[in-house]
Amino acid sequence: MRLVSFGLAVALVCVSIATAHAQQAAPVIPTLVDETAGTGIDSTFKGEWEYMVGGGAASFDCNGDLYPDVLLAGGEEPAKFYMNASTVGGPLKFTAAESGLELEHVTGAYPLDVDSDGIMDVALLRVGENVVMRGLGGCKFERANETWGFSGGDLWWTSLAATWEKGADWPTIAVGSYIDRAEEISPWGSCTDNWLLRPAAGERKFGAPVVLKPSYCPLSIMFTDWNRSGTPSLRVSNDREYYEGGQEQMWKIEPGKEPVLYKADEGWRPLRIWGMGIASYDLNFDGYLEYFLTSMADNKLQTLAAVPTEGSAAKPTYADVAYPKGVTAHRPYTGDDLKPSTAWHSEFQDMNNDGMVDLFIAKGNVWEMPDFAMKDPNNLLLQLPDGKFMEAGDKAGISHNGQSRGAALADFNLDGLVDLVVVNRNSPAQVWRNATAEAGNWLQVKLKQAGANPDAVGAWLEVRCNPQTMRREISVGGGHAGGQAGWSHFGVGSEAEVDIRVTWPDGTAGEWQRVAANAFYVVEKGKAAEAWVPR
Amino acid sequence: MRAFRHAMAALALLALSLGVTTGNAAEQSEGRPAPQEILRDWYYLMNELVRHTATYSPPVASRSFGYLGITAFEAAVGGSDKLVSLVGQVQGLEAVPAREAGAVYDETIIISAAMSDAIVFYFGNTGPTGQRAIKTAQRKWRERVVDGVADDVVARSETFGKAMAASIHEWSLTDGGAVVTNMGFPEKWELPTGDDKWVPTGPIRQQQLPLLPEWGTVRTFAMPSGATCPTPGNPAFSAEAGTPFYQEALEVYETGKTLTPEQLAIARFWSDDPMLSMTPPGHWVSIAMQVAERADLSLDDNVDLLARMGIGMSDAFVGCWHAKFTYNLLRPVTYIKKYIDPKWEPALNTPPFPEYPSGHSTVSGAMDAVMTHFFGDNYAFEDHTGSPDGRNPRMFKSFHEAAEEAGISRMYGGIHFRAAIVDGLTQGRCIAEYTNKLKTRK
Repeated sequence: MRLVSFGLAVALVCVSIATAHAQQAAPVIPTLVDETAGTGIDSTFKGEWEYMVGGGAASFDCNGDLYPDVLLAGGEEPAKFYMNASTVGGPLKFTAAESGLELEHVTGAYPLDVDSDGIMDVALLRVGENVVMRGLGGCKFERANETWGFSGGDLWWTSLAATWEKGADWPTIAVGSYIDRAEEISPWGSCTDNWLLRPAAGERKFGAPVVLKPSYCPLSIMFTDWNRSGTPSLRVSNDREYYEGGQEQMWKIEPGKEPVLYKADEGWRPLRIWGMGIASYDLNFDGYLEYFLTSMADNKLQTLAAVPTEGSAAKPTYADVAYPKGVTAHRPYTGDDLKPSTAWHSEFQDMNNDGMVDLFIAKGNVWEMPDFAMKDPNNLLLQLPDGKFMEAGDKAGISHNGQSRGAALADFNLDGLVDLVVVNRNSPAQVWRNATAEAGNWLQVKLKQAGANPDAVGAWLEVRCNPQTMRREISVGGGHAGGQAGWSHFGVGSEAEVDIRVTWPDGTAGEWQRVAANAFYVVEKGKAAEAWVPR
Repeated sequence: MRAFRHAMAALALLALSLGVTTGNAAEQSEGRPAPQEILRDWYYLMNELVRHTATYSPPVASRSFGYLGITAFEAAVGGSDKLVSLVGQVQGLEAVPAREAGAVYDETIIISAAMSDAIVFYFGNTGPTGQRAIKTAQRKWRERVVDGVADDVVARSETFGKAMAASIHEWSLTDGGAVVTNMGFPEKWELPTGDDKWVPTGPIRQQQLPLLPEWGTVRTFAMPSGATCPTPGNPAFSAEAGTPFYQEALEVYETGKTLTPEQLAIARFWSDDPMLSMTPPGHWVSIAMQVAERADLSLDDNVDLLARMGIGMSDAFVGCWHAKFTYNLLRPVTYIKKYIDPKWEPALNTPPFPEYPSGHSTVSGAMDAVMTHFFGDNYAFEDHTGSPDGRNPRMFKSFHEAAEEAGISRMYGGIHFRAAIVDGLTQGRCIAEYTNKLKTRK
């Protein structure tokens, strides 16, 4: 790794995005090349009923080269870890490696540096006992449940999120569980408990789990600072197939206090969907995140019903704008199977670097559900200058018809273009290299801070191109059973330079810094952004 | 079902505390189930599948309960000295399998075998968890019902039960309602235009065309056709304040603005949303199951009741849908937002199909008539259907009272005008008269 000081700079006006909004130009269609056969990735998420959900993908760097490595859930088969062997701009190459993460019954995985030692750890969701794996360096891991006081339970675990509560030097992890596996004839209404694992008082380990009741069979949860209060809440997307009396949920998780659900008198409105995944991004540049919730048939795109005026607090009331934005993705867009779709992992990434973030959705039948599409192509919805989206999955080359579940979108060969790994149920995972020739400029940023929470989970990363400011929240959670750590990617269109700023988890807002496009930057709290050049 | 059965256990305890006998059912639960017990077990499971099978909108659920009820009824007729077959009485049912003369059968095994196959015929499209539940029930419940029965009797009884289920299913395939795609929403449908016409009411892309617009042509069971019990029509459309139509809309609006906690509880109690509940037909089946269990009905009474309810509710939805797509009336939320208050929102989700008449009112009117015909007037009961979803049980003095409450709940919920409720209840009672005329007893 080579660090190059770039220094602070004054804000300048970027015009490309604003211009594009006015002109509604046709987007560049990304070119995604299926390189599965040559990548070395050969994992399959296998299993019967207890593995109809799950199948997460995690990407993170564990050997210090800052190329994202990959862990794929295997279900009844052991999870598989792949070390990234790609070179800049080259074909995607991975090497299966013994890491210690190769446990059976893994449904998903999320990377986070639990002990803040600068070496990535990994939390494994499983059918049975969850396991936290301590990173040892060199992509080796060891079980740490006992060392860290982590209760793994014995449930059908499906979702995970993590945060560092204000003042804590140890993370808080929330885990969501699904159906009581013992209920064979009457599994409906048998949702088992979700847990909140907070730091033990005065110790660098987890305390006893706190049950988050009521629990409604979530398939995705995430800590998110939805109201920009500086204290993330726990957003929970629940599968209505199995709960009784349930709905989508959001918990107030305030330091030192018991978790409390947002209620109707505060503005929370009931929504009942087959909640399967959460993706977030500030799509309308108002400083607040939109949330894309995957489901069956129509998917949801939630935006705050009312953006608070200066000095007032946001209410957790959301409007569904999926239809007007063109992201309902309710049925296959290609092929002859026009039954309703089933959506799982979703993620906002700018696949053509035009400065307008796009939306990937992994699709696939749950399991021989004849009323839903059996041939259900994955979506790639490109954002247009007017904020609406257009389908381009088939044109981009990713309209696979398998039972897709989890996915990871990351720049695996560090060429500035976001690549794609998709986990399929009962068929091999797939890997696509982004080879878009006409893509715009880009920027990738990795955050770093001293002490606890070294990867700055909970920070907000902003990239300013006047009149708009793009924002990402650095989070652990969401998606479908898998998450990513490492570089945050922004497409910046034709801009050669942009301004970036970090609001750190403690609320400290950094300075705006001017950086050149088409480069990687490591931003450490209190320091200037430093350019980094991959090997 | 697990939670519901817990609620039912609580109901049984309540009945005991009130001095109501639970009779043989409780005694037999220790060993081989009585035929009516295994029938109820299958019905509880099927009501779960109504909630958890994507095609099961209310009309589809009512149709299945029609065929399921007739399957159980015809399976039991040959073993009863009281029941009379429905062959020749319901449309298109010309023959059913007969038992071997003089041979020994077991009624519990017949009923269980018939339901074991029928559940696959009507819920074969359910999801993987439902499939798993069906297979487990087939295996475990068969073990219960064949225990201690001679092999030849088991084989003969199962063969007959399965043949009956297959025969009724084959008949069902010709009614025009067997194939439901895209969860009931058509790929193409030309929406009538006009200020009074239905338009989509929500942002769900799949629901921009109305649910099952041709359901009114599905073959009926007891009444001649979907057009048999017409409704008088909604008040003449007008956007003018003071006109009857405007006043109806104003009533919905003002009711919604001043909704009491009791009215909101009633709206939610009868909400019965597809995929979030067992739907209105399932709700009434649930009421029937609770009442039947509490009254310790015999097999004859159980199958008679379930057949009549299934027939009546299915015909009710065909008749209601026939009228809905005759009038194609807009929903209150559309009218009120346009002419009264653009910010108004109903308490319930507005269903994705035309307003007039109210489907819940039509089916509730029909079920009032069928159940009152069966049990008599002023039959009091407590309904625990919503307990698993956290709703308090409600006590009713009669089926009539329950139906009236179900009807008005749609105004409290802001999804129907009064005329749709009043005319729906009347239409349902008209339709049920054809069911009530069926001869099921010698």
